[in-house]
Amino acid sequence: MNALDIAKAALETAGGEAEAVAHVEHSGLARFAGSEVHQPTLIENAIVTLRVVHGNRAGIATTNRIDAPGLAELAHRAADAAESSPPDESFPGLTPPTDPAAVEGYDEETAALGPADQARLAATSIDAGGDVPVYGFFTSGVSELAIVSTTGLSVHQRMTDATTLVVAADENGSGYAEQTAWRTSAIDPSAVAQEAAEKARRTRGAGEIDPGVYRAVLEPYAFADLLDYFSHDSFGALGVLDKRSYFTDRLGEKVFDEKIFIADDALDPRGLPKAFDFEGTPKRRVQLVEAGVARSVVWDRARAAQAENGAESTGHAPPAELRDWGPLPSALSVLPGAAESVEELAELVGDGLYITRLHYLGVVHPREGIITGMTRDGTFRIRDGKIAEPLVNLRFTVAVPDLLRDVVGLTNKASLVNSQNFYGERYPYGVMAPALASERFTITGVGSKPGI
Amino acid sequence: MKRSQFVATKSGRVERLSDSESEGIGVRVLLNGAWGFACDRRLSAEGARDAALRACTFASAAPGKHSRQLAPVAPASGAHRTHVERDPFEVPLAEKVAQCLEADEAMAGPDILVRQAMVRAQREHKLLLTSEGTEVEQELIECGAGIECAAARDGVFQMRSYPSAHVGSSCQSGWEYVDGLDLTGEAPRVAEQAAALLRADECPSGVMTVVLDGDQVALQVHESVGHPTELDRVYGTEASYAGTSFLKPGDLGSLRYGSELMNITADATTKGGLGSFAFDDEGVPAESTPVVEAGLLTGFLTSRETAARIGAGNGGSMRADGWNRMPLVRMTNLHLEPGEGTLDDLLADVDHGVYMETNRSWSIDDKRLNFQFGTQIAWEIKDGKLGRMLRDATYTGITPQFWGSLDAISGRGSWRLYGLTNCGKGQPGQSAHVSHGAAPARFRNVQVGVRS
Repeated sequence: MNALDIAKAALETAGGEAEAVAHVEHSGLARFAGSEVHQPTLIENAIVTLRVVHGNRAGIATTNRIDAPGLAELAHRAADAAESSPPDESFPGLTPPTDPAAVEGYDEETAALGPADQARLAATSIDAGGDVPVYGFFTSGVSELAIVSTTGLSVHQRMTDATTLVVAADENGSGYAEQTAWRTSAIDPSAVAQEAAEKARRTRGAGEIDPGVYRAVLEPYAFADLLDYFSHDSFGALGVLDKRSYFTDRLGEKVFDEKIFIADDALDPRGLPKAFDFEGTPKRRVQLVEAGVARSVVWDRARAAQAENGAESTGHAPPAELRDWGPLPSALSVLPGAAESVEELAELVGDGLYITRLHYLGVVHPREGIITGMTRDGTFRIRDGKIAEPLVNLRFTVAVPDLLRDVVGLTNKASLVNSQNFYGERYPYGVMAPALASERFTITGVGSKPGI
Repeated sequence: MKRSQFVATKSGRVERLSDSESEGIGVRVLLNGAWGFACDRRLSAEGARDAALRACTFASAAPGKHSRQLAPVAPASGAHRTHVERDPFEVPLAEKVAQCLEADEAMAGPDILVRQAMVRAQREHKLLLTSEGTEVEQELIECGAGIECAAARDGVFQMRSYPSAHVGSSCQSGWEYVDGLDLTGEAPRVAEQAAALLRADECPSGVMTVVLDGDQVALQVHESVGHPTELDRVYGTEASYAGTSFLKPGDLGSLRYGSELMNITADATTKGGLGSFAFDDEGVPAESTPVVEAGLLTGFLTSRETAARIGAGNGGSMRADGWNRMPLVRMTNLHLEPGEGTLDDLLADVDHGVYMETNRSWSIDDKRLNFQFGTQIAWEIKDGKLGRMLRDATYTGITPQFWGSLDAISGRGSWRLYGLTNCGKGQPGQSAHVSHGAAPARFRNVQVGVRS
């Protein structure tokens, strides 16, 4: 059954006022390590979440038993949940019918890939690693989302996505690269492995540096990861309502360098396009930061109703099991700058650090935007405007607002960096980011040499 | 089949009330030395056959040499169910909501901005059948709960939780575990401390003695002993996501992990442990094995495959996050064995130091060597006694040096089980539920206070 049929069947079973969200996944992931596929996973699943409304009380239940007895039990559990909830005076009701604009994001060729193809594309990366063993995966999948409700709302989208990710590593070095797209033809598993292996070869013989504040160039992988973490507290309406966002009391103020423009744009065909959110509200492009000025955050219907400040949903409602996180961006997009290449950014920096990728970020202080983590798979010194000798993995503790306050430059091309780690149901999303050069990147510790 | 309920309230209203179930069959095949895995949500002969055939297709297509061997295991049959006094799914949702709202309300107070309470329950019913003749049925039941509040004033933002941050603490138990936590009774203290933190001094920087509470010790064990002793990480098969390990296979029996006081046990038989079972997901019976004895590395966490590869152990740590993921090497319950005396005894031998309580932030490098942790609250230790309250406490270190500086652990009387539900690993991602037994512990010459 397709997602729309599942959602309709669930809604019919509910009887009264209700909304059904169906999420279907077909995917394959060929994970390899030491140049051998060791964890090949094929997933087939279909889940449906029913929200039953009794006055201003709503109850939610989810199942993947989509036959008649399964849906009947689902309706019963959702009704029990609604009866168990106290009345919610700020409940905005179910979404009225919407008409989301058609978006791209579905590709027949990607949808048709089967296990033999996924294994073959993994083999392409393995072969391209050459003398450096590779660790990573090729994955492709189809996800379908359908939302119907008794208001007459009926929206449906099919999405494809494909990712190749490679860590190339031996005992003496490691490198990283990845590509994500909704069309498999837009990604090149061989080029990804070559980029990672070449980076790994350059990290051999890594040296140490003293902790301190450095100028730095961050590749899109590193910049996107940091921005994604920062966004969880700072770019959603709930972070502002709860006052843990850096944007608390700062909307309208200049907070970053004027070269910084950040939007959330799920409609961009270069990303992983989405037509609507998990309440069926059409996706809007939201300008979060404009010329360094904090402009806005993203909203869903529930938070907009609670805020009582005239805010409207921007199409960022999360799935039911993440409701308590509030609305969050899932298509961050940073406007590129003027630099032709990362080498040009290194020239602008003159003396500093070159950082490929980050690892295991942790938010030290949400309100101040302080995030710690390690650099990984390609950290270098920049000397005399050139990317120079390799460095060991470094611990950084950075206030993201400090990093973005004095920006030396940005490359003129943004890349899509995958942000999903494929927990739970597949829902492809990522960050479009150029490489960034900043005046300030704070190193607070020294780790081990790159390599396995 | 897995059923889970989650109720969360926030500042007097229900934030999330979800009740979800998911069922299906996962088939892992070892075909000519190569793994394949496929799953299907249909619990029928047809679903099982389809999954098995697709798993075989993926295994035969997987590139690599493939000569995977498994440590032998005797075919077993049996059944196991978590002992519960009160089945959490017999507890009405309305009672769960009321419990949350009551604790939520009890945190109200000056400067308290956000109050949150949550309770959760999970039942996993699984049947393991292998072609070697194993047939095991298990029903594992978990409950958990926690409260948290945020305080803010003059741009300072602080949080306090009980019994742990990051969705509370959980236990394999009936609802009696949640009742025993006495969320409402603890709520006023949690709120008072959050408000007091707004006026507390910032934790100073320097090298000093640190005493950690059991909650932070549990996380320290998890990140810097649990993950690096997972033998799949040692062999590099997790390199593309969670990372590798500073340990090498040859370190077994010879590497000094910490001081002579350090004894770590992996115990899948601990009553109430989230990693307890009768058989793991490869059919290996539960056991309790030492990992570190008197500071020496004497064991790894293994699968049948990694045990065969290293020639030691027999597996027993393989768990999958449900029917649609492959089993991975996961911690079961990993304990730091208790020492002697009380927390006051630990403090008595400190002239100048810091006592830290309840994890707030965490980050560690891919080899699990360089870590940085922050806690919600701390107190200065002066002349053997607790002094002024401190906020924003962090400490950083290198794993073997840090454990080498362990010079006291409190006794059995303050040893508790901490159950966490957010341990991520694998591609596609899997969340594991893991418990750690820990007591307050003292470490000398630790770098405290990391500024961005």
